[in-house]
Amino acid sequence: MIKKIPWWLGGILMALLLLFTFSVLGANRPIGASTYVPYFAGIIFDLDPEKYTYLKEIHNPGSWEGVMLLGVLIGAFLNALFVTKTFRFIIVPAAWRRYKNNSVKSRLIWSFVSGFFLIIGARLAGGCTSGHFLSGMTQTAFSSMIFGAVVMISLIVTGKLFYKDKTDV
Amino acid sequence: MYDKDTSMIDRIFSMFQTVQNEGHGSVLLVFIIGMVFGSIIQYTKVHKFEKIAGFSMLKDTVVPKMLFLAIGLASIGLFFIIQLGWASYYVKPILLGGLIVGGTIFGISMAIFGKCPGTGPISVAEGRVDVMVGALGGIFGGLVFTLFYDKLKLLMGPNLGKLTLTGYFQDHQGLTALIFGLVLVAISIAIPLLEETDEDDIGYQK
Repeated sequence: MIKKIPWWLGGILMALLLLFTFSVLGANRPIGASTYVPYFAGIIFDLDPEKYTYLKEIHNPGSWEGVMLLGVLIGAFLNALFVTKTFRFIIVPAAWRRYKNNSVKSRLIWSFVSGFFLIIGARLAGGCTSGHFLSGMTQTAFSSMIFGAVVMISLIVTGKLFYKDKTDV
Repeated sequence: MYDKDTSMIDRIFSMFQTVQNEGHGSVLLVFIIGMVFGSIIQYTKVHKFEKIAGFSMLKDTVVPKMLFLAIGLASIGLFFIIQLGWASYYVKPILLGGLIVGGTIFGISMAIFGKCPGTGPISVAEGRVDVMVGALGGIFGGLVFTLFYDKLKLLMGPNLGKLTLTGYFQDHQGLTALIFGLVLVAISIAIPLLEETDEDDIGYQK
């Protein structure tokens, strides 16, 4: 079975999925993948949607993305078990070992903190890689181009400062 | 609908019901969109730490190559299906403060986490413990954002409107979409292909 596809095939398939989702044959809306997080936080921490403006605002998109996310999770789990065979309990990624350190504690603390701020950042900006990059730039939206430019710069500057380049050592 | 006694199960049930009644695809269709979305990411491996953090170090370029190709092709296609009346625009407003502050925080976090909100769940489903811990952090991020939304909102302005490039060049919308798309496809092809090896390539060592 196919375990890997090249980037260009992935790009073409992703474009087709975006178009299908946008079209009236599909969902007649864009793909987004960060609103579901505060939506689920509202459910998990049992926050009353009547009391919190934000939960009221995201009720519909949060539900849609919530269902989509279940598809992502279950699909990826089945793929990992039966197709790509990539299901493994791993704590420290290979490149973290290569360019940062071998510490489990360090990786877990940084993961928690960066996971926390990833969602704060996405919700402040009103979207993420899916909502802004993929769906927003496809509509030639200036908001998404601003987001794209800011993220690219901040990502690459962080990459240069945060990781060490082994070839220099 | 939201009375105080609603349990978590009721709220999850209400999630499915909202989607079913909303008219943006049936629950099954939205679920399948998620499965396909996740599979494309999983098979191209752009959810791997090595691909995203690797891009931040400019050592792996699969993420930008695939992203720009997808956006380039989809932007040309979307313009024409909107013209045909088969789709509509859903443009996000330019909330300048939110985009700059949020985008900066998002980029820093993405480089360190090596995930974004759409790719993280795939790694969780593959058993990656660090990403599960990061997802927990994300849930707390969602909680804090919800609790302090009224204050954070002040930071997000000013709203400069829902502007688009095709809207700016109103007399030449089709040509604008075509050039925009082709430029992105050209960028995607022009970026040299670099790849970092991950634990699936090298075999997992304890």
